[in-house]
Amino acid sequence: MTCRSVCRVLQRRLVASTAEVRLSAAELSRMRSVLFSKEQARQRALIPRTEKIEVTMQGPGLKGTLLIMNKGVSTPHSCARHLTEWHVSSSALALVDGEPWSMNRPLTQSCSLTLLTFKETEPCEVNKAYWRSCAALLGQVLQNAFKDELSVELLRSPELPVTSGAFCCDLILDRQLDTWTPSEEALQSLTRDAQQLIQKDLPWEPLEVLPSVALEVFSHSRCKQEEVEERAAESPSGTVMLYRCGDHVLLSRGPLVARTGLCSQYEVTAMHNLDQGERGLRRRVQGLSLPLQLQAHHTIWRRLRKRAEQLVEVPPPQVPEATPISSY
Amino acid sequence: MRLSLSTLISHGRMARRMGMGPESRINMLRNILTGLVRHERIETTRARADEVRFYAEKLIDYAKRGDTDEKAMKMADFWLTEKDLIPKLFKVLAPRFENQQKGYTRMARIPNRENLDRAAMAVLEYKGHPYPPLITPKRDNELTLLNQLLKGYREERAKKAAGKAD
Repeated sequence: MTCRSVCRVLQRRLVASTAEVRLSAAELSRMRSVLFSKEQARQRALIPRTEKIEVTMQGPGLKGTLLIMNKGVSTPHSCARHLTEWHVSSSALALVDGEPWSMNRPLTQSCSLTLLTFKETEPCEVNKAYWRSCAALLGQVLQNAFKDELSVELLRSPELPVTSGAFCCDLILDRQLDTWTPSEEALQSLTRDAQQLIQKDLPWEPLEVLPSVALEVFSHSRCKQEEVEERAAESPSGTVMLYRCGDHVLLSRGPLVARTGLCSQYEVTAMHNLDQGERGLRRRVQGLSLPLQLQAHHTIWRRLRKRAEQLVEVPPPQVPEATPISSY
Repeated sequence: MRLSLSTLISHGRMARRMGMGPESRINMLRNILTGLVRHERIETTRARADEVRFYAEKLIDYAKRGDTDEKAMKMADFWLTEKDLIPKLFKVLAPRFENQQKGYTRMARIPNRENLDRAAMAVLEYKGHPYPPLITPKRDNELTLLNQLLKGYREERAKKAAGKAD
């Protein structure tokens, strides 16, 4: 009898201690999402009285359009909703006074606004944002794909140029999985998860927060905390950008596109082992995606997909060199 | 007329009829063709443009025989109701299409006439004229996501091919 009760107590203790150390993926994302919502509500409560701002629209067919919007509440997305349905569904990113701006981020002052689609004359900024968003989506899929007892830690995702052929997401899996190599079916199931997220058409909600809040959100991940500190040191205002998609909260280097529904073709193509880091085996998961407006024929897609299976090399951070003067 | 066995025996197929009888049709087409040679780009109803196109091509074929050719001169004299255009046909249009065997004209559909009849309209033109192009070719931007991916793919393939050659 005593033995059994001791056993029970011990068991409970053990369970409690493991739960303290590691939350399951679903609990973790819920906790982060709750913190995110709380901070969002706090920031919204800071605007007790709506003030009006004037937004001048730029772009083909929008010359001279002036919108009166609410300061700190209206987003580029709400501006697009005053125009046409096409503007709502096809714009991926906004330019506010020439600066890339997420579609769901509130406007803070009177400005000129350009809505960008994937078929712009200068789509570099949109391409970068799209590639970043696809990598974020891949991270979200990987975070929720494994069983609860296996830990998944997402590392900072390297910024890849589009011409490298694939976007990627670095992560460290549980030590039990060090010898595991994913089969074709496993990658297909990851692809299916991503397709489900795309079908849900979730928005990426941005939120600019102080580093202390971000540290609290990522209190279970050492690696993310380091990243938060680095980002906060880099940015001139000392704040970091958090994004939320569904329940998943992530850090991002730049703006993401408006919704997950903008992706149409999406595939997780390969998982490579990189090297043995101090925390465990680093892996790189790669994928390929194309937006709804630019779909590829299946023969083209197959070739691009085959290329995306190779391990992509992250270009070394460019040192700003003295550019040769070519003006004369 | 496009005379062949298949056109001779109609088997219930209706030919396109225009004007008030065959003679009127020929006269109408002559006037349109004269306008085409003068302005090099004209706008008519789609059926008329389609009919006159055949004669416009044929006229160039004759003109390429040279102005000393009797048949060519006869044809030019018949089809061009304004006689000051005959030198233009032989001196300007015939040399322009010297290296070309066929396809001297281009036809483009345009929106229906705003008139009461809402007739289907078309533009007919001789190629090589000095006007701005009717249809600007639409090319996808080189910087779009898909084209950038394809650019990367091509570069890698070229690199691989060069590696193999060495």
